[in-house]
Amino acid sequence: MGYPALHWVLGIAIGLVFLYASWEKIAKPGDFARIVYHYQVVGPSRLIPPLAANLLAVTLPWIEVVVGVLLVTGVWRREAAAVTALLLITFLVAVSSALLRGIDIENCGCFSVSGAGRGAGILLLLGDAALLAGTLVLAIVSPRRAAPGAITAPQAAAANDRGLTPQQPVA
Amino acid sequence: MTVIVTLGVALGLAWNALGDHLVPPPTQAGRRGIPLSRNVFLKEGDEVVNARDARALFDKGALFLDARPVDFYNMKHIPGAFPLPQDDFDRAFARLEGLLRSRFEIVVYCSGYGCEASHIVAGKLKERGIPAMILDEGWPAWTEAGYPVKAGETP
Repeated sequence: MGYPALHWVLGIAIGLVFLYASWEKIAKPGDFARIVYHYQVVGPSRLIPPLAANLLAVTLPWIEVVVGVLLVTGVWRREAAAVTALLLITFLVAVSSALLRGIDIENCGCFSVSGAGRGAGILLLLGDAALLAGTLVLAIVSPRRAAPGAITAPQAAAANDRGLTPQQPVA
Repeated sequence: MTVIVTLGVALGLAWNALGDHLVPPPTQAGRRGIPLSRNVFLKEGDEVVNARDARALFDKGALFLDARPVDFYNMKHIPGAFPLPQDDFDRAFARLEGLLRSRFEIVVYCSGYGCEASHIVAGKLKERGIPAMILDEGWPAWTEAGYPVKAGETP
């Protein structure tokens, strides 16, 4: 599979995951805000009024929608992937910090926000890390196919083994 | 990247403010926006007391209920409080029902910030015709004020 195809597949897959994830949070903002409170990262607390967590709860799902649409359509894919990576890293930190502080997050608020959702644990962190790996590929690796006629690294190594000098510089 | 985040934030704020007008909600509970400055744990009609007022009620002999898991109650609780854990509500309620129906002033508390148990327990009591107040910021507000606490399984 060439790089452009890989980028399309990754972009569409991760974009759909984010669009799906945003749906229920937008439909039930109160329930999602409740889950944000449970994490106890952006309050509410004595120092942080509920405004901070409420703002996060109403805006985060829409950032997911925007990156989802961009990743699926391939528009600004690299930038969208970078924002997605930041979202995933923030989420990794939030979940890890909740686990380390002994906060029992019964519903991680990933896809479903009402009732018994998926709990926060190691599996969740692994899933998040897998998505993060995909977005990092999109954000960092160039989707351009190798130029026609260019010698790839394995071909150059094989040529060297046979005592030949590669005709073209190895990329 | 800034454009993407700004666009998402703008859409979120716009939807929170206008969503109900654009797509009328099926029910009041299904509203598309939330009041940004209010704690979403608070429901219509909830009565909240701060630690100082709760202390005054404590001195007057109000009944305190601990909505945290029972292990936390056993470690430390407000003296005289009974355990009514949210995660074992029905059983604990059956044990305490007679007492609860004989008292007028009831205060429910849990672990404070990010803890919804006291709101849920107060809501369930209300459904059963027993009004109860919620201690704002819960256990940490009580202990940080230096008010009395007690260890052990008994009230």
